[in-house]
Amino acid sequence: MDSLILEISTRGLDRYEAVKFGTTTIGRALDNDIILSDPTVAPHHLQIVQHSDQSIELTNLAEINPTQVDHQPIDTRLIGKLPATIEIGRVQLRLLARDHAVAATRPLAANRSNRHPFGHAYWALILVLICLLVSGTDFFLNSYNSFKWSDLLKYLLRETILTIGGFVLTLSILERLLVNRWEIRQMLTSVCLIYLLFTAAMLLANSLDYLLSASWPSTLLYFGWYLIIVPGAITLYLVHISHLPRNRSLMLALLIASPLALPSILQSTQMQLLLDNFSITARYHNNLSYLNWHLRKRVDIESFIEQARQLEAGQAAD
Amino acid sequence: MHQSLFAVLLVLLFAVTAPAAALDSKGIYQLNQDRVVQVRVLNRETGKKSSIGSGFIVGDGRQLATNYHVISQIVLEPELFYISYISNDGTEGELTLEALDVAHDLALLGAEQALGDAIQMSPLPPRGAPIFAMGNPLDLGLSIAVGTNGGILNQTDDSRILFSGSLNPGMSGGPTFNEFGEAIGINVATARNDISFIVPSRFLTELIERSTTESYADNVDLKAEVARQVIAYENRYIEQLLAGDWQGLNLRQFQLPGVISPTVRCWDNSAKLNAVARYKRYQIRCANQNHVYLDSDNHFVGRLSYEYYWLESDELNPIQFYNLYESLNKDQIETKPGREIASNFNCETWFIEVSMQEMKSNLCRREYLDYPGMSDVLFTAALTGHADRGFFVTLIMTGVDFDSTLPLIQKFLEETEWTP
Repeated sequence: MDSLILEISTRGLDRYEAVKFGTTTIGRALDNDIILSDPTVAPHHLQIVQHSDQSIELTNLAEINPTQVDHQPIDTRLIGKLPATIEIGRVQLRLLARDHAVAATRPLAANRSNRHPFGHAYWALILVLICLLVSGTDFFLNSYNSFKWSDLLKYLLRETILTIGGFVLTLSILERLLVNRWEIRQMLTSVCLIYLLFTAAMLLANSLDYLLSASWPSTLLYFGWYLIIVPGAITLYLVHISHLPRNRSLMLALLIASPLALPSILQSTQMQLLLDNFSITARYHNNLSYLNWHLRKRVDIESFIEQARQLEAGQAAD
Repeated sequence: MHQSLFAVLLVLLFAVTAPAAALDSKGIYQLNQDRVVQVRVLNRETGKKSSIGSGFIVGDGRQLATNYHVISQIVLEPELFYISYISNDGTEGELTLEALDVAHDLALLGAEQALGDAIQMSPLPPRGAPIFAMGNPLDLGLSIAVGTNGGILNQTDDSRILFSGSLNPGMSGGPTFNEFGEAIGINVATARNDISFIVPSRFLTELIERSTTESYADNVDLKAEVARQVIAYENRYIEQLLAGDWQGLNLRQFQLPGVISPTVRCWDNSAKLNAVARYKRYQIRCANQNHVYLDSDNHFVGRLSYEYYWLESDELNPIQFYNLYESLNKDQIETKPGREIASNFNCETWFIEVSMQEMKSNLCRREYLDYPGMSDVLFTAALTGHADRGFFVTLIMTGVDFDSTLPLIQKFLEETEWTP
């Protein structure tokens, strides 16, 4: 019989040990064949025997935290089918056949690989320039006084360079801690894309607000942005750039996005309204648009007054 | 003998027909010190004062007049508070509420037995005549303040006299005398710096007359009564506005309602622009001075204000212009009652054709929870469809019956004319 492989799940990359023909012991004591240093593992916890008839027999040796196979405690168990999931204390193991299939190799997200656009330095540079251009346009469109270059530079420094730079630096440090790598170009590309996406989405939401004479498009964007798009983007980054497993990427993304999202969401008027359904101000649709595209029909004064009679007062707060 | 008799008759005749001698402040004080009292709202649990004011004997000698705002706590929380008086000689007693005139901030209280001789009422003396306000400022004891009559203020719907003298907290509800010791009004408010306000005595006379035919039962819903009075007052006010001729005003390409009533004053409110601004803006704000006191949380209603805003630019592109235009279109009602007082606003949007122009309009309404039928209304309308010109109007009314405001909004829009 071919020798088996024991997959030991760790917080970083998984560890693999060959299980030889015959008897293999697993535990925390140093006289075991495979040593697990986790404190929930007994000194002698599990014995694996590969018999000559190719059967595999697992024997629990621990009184505390007895071994579980497929989530069931065992004394002795013959394993007929691989892979088998084993829990020793809080350590997760999988018993695999040597020919167990492995996932496809992912291309490196670096400029030495032409298959990954995020790794190219010029692509990051182009995106940074586009961000600066968009931010400068935003400054210009919201500037009502005579133009001053110094004002533009201050705005770009504050709103774009420091914002994007701050996110890139913070997230890169997190990535370094997580996967032990610096990937500044990829991070810069990703943050710039998120910035541009947010700008475009805001434009679209505001236009929809005016078109529909409603506020739900921008509210939806606001919550969707922080609760779905930002964690989703970080997950994609961790999966495709940092090459972490999907589930772990999702958890990490939620962890990273939370400090970004929670203060913004909790301070937003939308969330305040959800948490406390009373507002002393009148929330009316004050947005205006030069294009003036709206689905509401234009009415004359008499019709307006007639329809206005139906307007009820707002709800009392709880 | 005949000559002596004639002389006596002549003296008697003179005594009957000649006007009473004018008194100075000392004389007025001495004449009325036993007829002006401190009115107090006391907590039933602690027996301590929660608010104080002044009052004076009127009507059948058993009644005391004061301001509604002095005793308004018993409207909000009758189970927690009661009203009492303490006279200048230290006599104390409990009072009951007999009648209210919320719109003019008056209340009529009743004692179980007669308190003394009622103070006589008198019409307003000529403008500039000396008048004397009595009361208990800051709980320091009865005092008298000397000033002059500044006349009826027509910007307050004829319900206030300007008193060029000093009123202080605690004097509210006290009488204001002419120089013959007759009450010409009731102290009500101050704007400091010897600018104070008096309620004309005719409103008190009407209230006393009304109290002879109407009385409040023990279980009367005073909040509903307050709401009924405020709404009736506001409805009369709006009817007067609708019936009056509205002066127009020009704001660039719009002919607009200007001073629509003597109660309204309009001011140019245009902000001084930076020299480098690439746009021009003009702002006119009109408002009345009707402040109707609602309750002890210092909520006032009766406000009517409308504000016009014109914006234009030859230099900004349309997107820049509309970004600026939108940022300015955010007026709100200044009064901000809490959740226990008012509901949320409910707002609806319309695109209304006004004088061949389209205006994006919002109508918002909230209601006062304890005052049935009473609402605050906010109406805004912003001009659309012009690349370099913007205009919006905000019309605000507080403490009104919502339905009665719609004809006023309609007239506002109908009196708005666009000049191409």
